[in-house]
Amino acid sequence: MASQTPAVVMDNGTGYSKLGFAGNDSPSFVFPTAIATKAGAGSAGSSTGSRPAVSNKPSFLSGNAGASSHLSGKRGTEDLDFFIGDEALAAGNGPGYGVNYPIRHGQIENWDYMERFWSNSIFKYLRVEPEDHYFLLTEPPLNPPENRENTAEIMFESFNCAGLYIAVQAVLALAASWTSSKVTDRSLTGTVIDSGDGVTHVIPVAEGYVIGSSIKSIPIAGRDITYFVQSLLRDRGEPDSSLKTAEKVKEEYCYVSPDIVKEFARYDREPDRLLKHTVTSPNGRSIQIDVGYERFLAPEIFFNPEIYSSDFLTPLPNVVDGVIQSSPIDVRRGLYKNIVLSGGSTLYKDFGRRLQRDIRHLVDARIRASEARSGGARSGGLDVAVVTHKRQRHGPWFGGSLLGQTPEFRSYCHTKAEYDEIGPSIVRRFALLGGPGSS
Amino acid sequence: MTSPLPERLDHLQLPPPSPHFIMPAYHSIFLEDRDVPVIGNFPILPLRTRTRGPAYTLPTLPPNTLDIDVSPDSESYDCVDEILSLFRANVLFRNFEINGPADRMLIYGTLFVSECLGKVKPIMSARDAEKALINAALDNFAIPGDVSFPLNQAFEPPRDRQDAESLRAYISQVRQETAMRLHARLYPGGEGPSKFWLSFTKRKFMGKSL
Repeated sequence: MASQTPAVVMDNGTGYSKLGFAGNDSPSFVFPTAIATKAGAGSAGSSTGSRPAVSNKPSFLSGNAGASSHLSGKRGTEDLDFFIGDEALAAGNGPGYGVNYPIRHGQIENWDYMERFWSNSIFKYLRVEPEDHYFLLTEPPLNPPENRENTAEIMFESFNCAGLYIAVQAVLALAASWTSSKVTDRSLTGTVIDSGDGVTHVIPVAEGYVIGSSIKSIPIAGRDITYFVQSLLRDRGEPDSSLKTAEKVKEEYCYVSPDIVKEFARYDREPDRLLKHTVTSPNGRSIQIDVGYERFLAPEIFFNPEIYSSDFLTPLPNVVDGVIQSSPIDVRRGLYKNIVLSGGSTLYKDFGRRLQRDIRHLVDARIRASEARSGGARSGGLDVAVVTHKRQRHGPWFGGSLLGQTPEFRSYCHTKAEYDEIGPSIVRRFALLGGPGSS
Repeated sequence: MTSPLPERLDHLQLPPPSPHFIMPAYHSIFLEDRDVPVIGNFPILPLRTRTRGPAYTLPTLPPNTLDIDVSPDSESYDCVDEILSLFRANVLFRNFEINGPADRMLIYGTLFVSECLGKVKPIMSARDAEKALINAALDNFAIPGDVSFPLNQAFEPPRDRQDAESLRAYISQVRQETAMRLHARLYPGGEGPSKFWLSFTKRKFMGKSL
């Protein structure tokens, strides 16, 4: 009998946390990974600064009296006085609260804040009893095993959750792409391009395992596109060029063009491609601004970073090609064949198509060159395919939802009983969910 | 130290850099033209113009055809068309590799368009802007080899005084034609100036200006 409660899927990213239940189409909650505490910025600075993981953990876990510890000293009711998510940002605007972001660069930096963040996520937002649910959490590629152990300690000892699985975000993003009609073989081999707000990662995955040595990240992502839109609005002297407006323009009007010169000419011939955007300010006044070339110039910074930044100049297609070329030779074919997009900054119209075309150009040029050098040998060609799908925005979360609802999911988890028997080190290894042999 | 790899395998290690990577900005299609006369290393490309000067004149456009509709395959397509159609893209780039004389024309033209945009103020009427642009084109200007010419590292000076005179006459012709056609783009249908064009005023191609 499977008195199955659905697994809880939590994807805590640097910018946003996605929470929900396995089997659902979309996360139930998406809010900033932010926590507002009464203490203010003072104690936050000291606790994020100290790296040793153990001292950052809740004092009752590490078992020391913690007289010197900043937070343990005041574990009274003020400990419960905090907000997370959008409420945290709102509280941070008022007096008395300081906002903290417990995750930096994808990794949990402040375990005390993270524990409280999770506790609110579970009890206040999802409203579940952790004893009754299995949990699927995510981690960035190359997350140190110690971080997994800390996570397990909090999940099992503070929350008593029934079972736990920790999956790598990139692998879940690959699983999410199975919803695309283009994907037929449900493999866990592919290249994941994950572009969020702060940074873009290119992560090669072979049969469910991340090829850590080949991962590359690019300092160009959503925030940079917003800044670039803003600078274009300012150059044109639009009446409103705030960051918020720039973000709206980016989200609503931007797309990727095949060729910017041809696109400029198209705007000359079809002036109705120039749009108007209405900004309504909080006081009810509304202003109209023009939306012009930023529609296609802004996402172009992925393909021609030179127009935006002076220190990073390698186009995204070249980075992807380089990542695959630096991976083991026997998986390259699979990596080219399944390039999967994930994250909000990959949602521009025709982003995948342009990426595919540009990577294909690079690959074809290389094949031609080596054919010429070989003196007459012909290559069978190489298939380059970029997969776009409907679940790209919350790719890792959706992949988790997909795998968390499978009947065998629970058998891949570590349970509370196993944890009690073996200890935190048990979470250093997880069997590969969704790998060969599973449905 | 010599490479431990046998020579035949060596080249497999280093894939040749892709062309896209070396030159992201757009280059002139007139690079393909053979036998373009040059003065110094500045090309004397034919122009579609009514302004008098040393340039070989291309046939005028058929009636009812606008400048923006000329396709690069047309026999009337000239380097000024190219300068204006590539301007908004190329002006965003900071690096540009010169692949031949025709690229020098592209550089010069792009920088001149930037200069022109600086002369047009958002409140100017079409008439005023036309005057300002023609003045900018006819103003005293430096040619390659002059001390005040900003790109002397990449441009060779003309051989003698006679060459210098014809180069000056040719560049003057290019400047006037560019200014006129830029004006047509800034004031499409007499309305303008287009703020979408003027927004490129502050950008500096290759970080340079004339």
